[in-house]
Amino acid sequence: MTNHVVRLYALAASLLVLFLTWAAIASHPWSSGSRSATADPRVAAIHAREQRLRQEAVVVRRVVAGRWHHYRVALAARQRQIATAQRRQQQAAASLATSSAPSVQVVTLPPLTVTRTS
Amino acid sequence: MQRRKFRAMGTTVELFLAREPEGGSKEVFDGAEREFERLEALLSRFRPESELSRLNAAGRLAAGEDLLAVVELAVEARERTSGRFDPTVHDALVQAGYDRTFEEVAPNGRTAATLPARCGGGVTVDRARGRIELEPGVRLDLGGIGKGYAADRAAAILSEAGPALVDAGGDIAAVGRPDSLGWRIGVETPAVTMTLALGDGAVATSGRDRRRWRRNGVEQHHLIDPATGRPAVGDLLRATVVARTAVEAETLAKALFLAGEHDAVVEAEAAGVPCVLVTEDERTVVAGGLS
Repeated sequence: MTNHVVRLYALAASLLVLFLTWAAIASHPWSSGSRSATADPRVAAIHAREQRLRQEAVVVRRVVAGRWHHYRVALAARQRQIATAQRRQQQAAASLATSSAPSVQVVTLPPLTVTRTS
Repeated sequence: MQRRKFRAMGTTVELFLAREPEGGSKEVFDGAEREFERLEALLSRFRPESELSRLNAAGRLAAGEDLLAVVELAVEARERTSGRFDPTVHDALVQAGYDRTFEEVAPNGRTAATLPARCGGGVTVDRARGRIELEPGVRLDLGGIGKGYAADRAAAILSEAGPALVDAGGDIAAVGRPDSLGWRIGVETPAVTMTLALGDGAVATSGRDRRRWRRNGVEQHHLIDPATGRPAVGDLLRATVVARTAVEAETLAKALFLAGEHDAVVEAEAAGVPCVLVTEDERTVVAGGLS
């Protein structure tokens, strides 16, 4: 009786060890490191492209900021030039206006004399 | 109508009297002609003994009444026109090749390339002491304004004998009216000769359609832009202005010519300066109340 029970336990234990061993071998624990090293090359390319685009975006932002600064400076200079020209024109018109012009009219008669570049 | 024609100040001068005075016109015409000769002797930059040449050579001079007056008018005009009219263009004119009377200027020639002459230097007129002083290196050209001044003076002399007009090669001064309409003065435009009827007043034309020559293959003319020290480049061919005196008309014509079409129209309209502008593409533009 006792021997028969012992044999049954021994058989059960042997089956358990067999299944555990089989499960351990089936899980390929030795290949986990190389699996990450040989990841999908498309993913790697996308990562590289993302990095490159990030770097390019930084450069573009820097260029745009520089151009915007130049534009603002040039705009301010141009606005100053326009203001100066308008002020000068107003001054010129005001100073020309100090003298009253004589009466003159266009007629359809032959001239007595002709003005030309002197 | 009584007339006399003679040469003075490098141009043909024509005198008109509306009617013959009682004692005849000869004496009056002689007086006006002598005035031109007298002023040319004082104001010409081509005569070494003239007051102007002595001022340019020395930089300072105890000047006579006429040189004082003309230089004072020129400095005032420079201020009024914001520097567009400037009597200190002497060196720029010489550099452009206008270094002798226009009849003697070679139509073609070569000159050494130089930097543009500086314009706008200091000119001080001390009326009380009768002295004119120029900033070192500054020399004056009073060609245009001097002719206008002479036309005004001659017209004043002639006017003692009645309504009179003086045409100094385009700088015209009129005193009195020959009839109810006034003096008929022609203005050349690309299409026709426009006639203006003018009473007391003056007309002058400035442009680059005459007094031209070439240096080193480049066309030059006598209207210097003081801002660049070179013959002016713009979209106007000539500008004719009506004003109270020939001096004023001469300086305003030069200022509007240098302003260019757009600014000239704006300024003439704002200031009420009657003017006729002929553009480089042969359009005629009138402004300043003229229609």
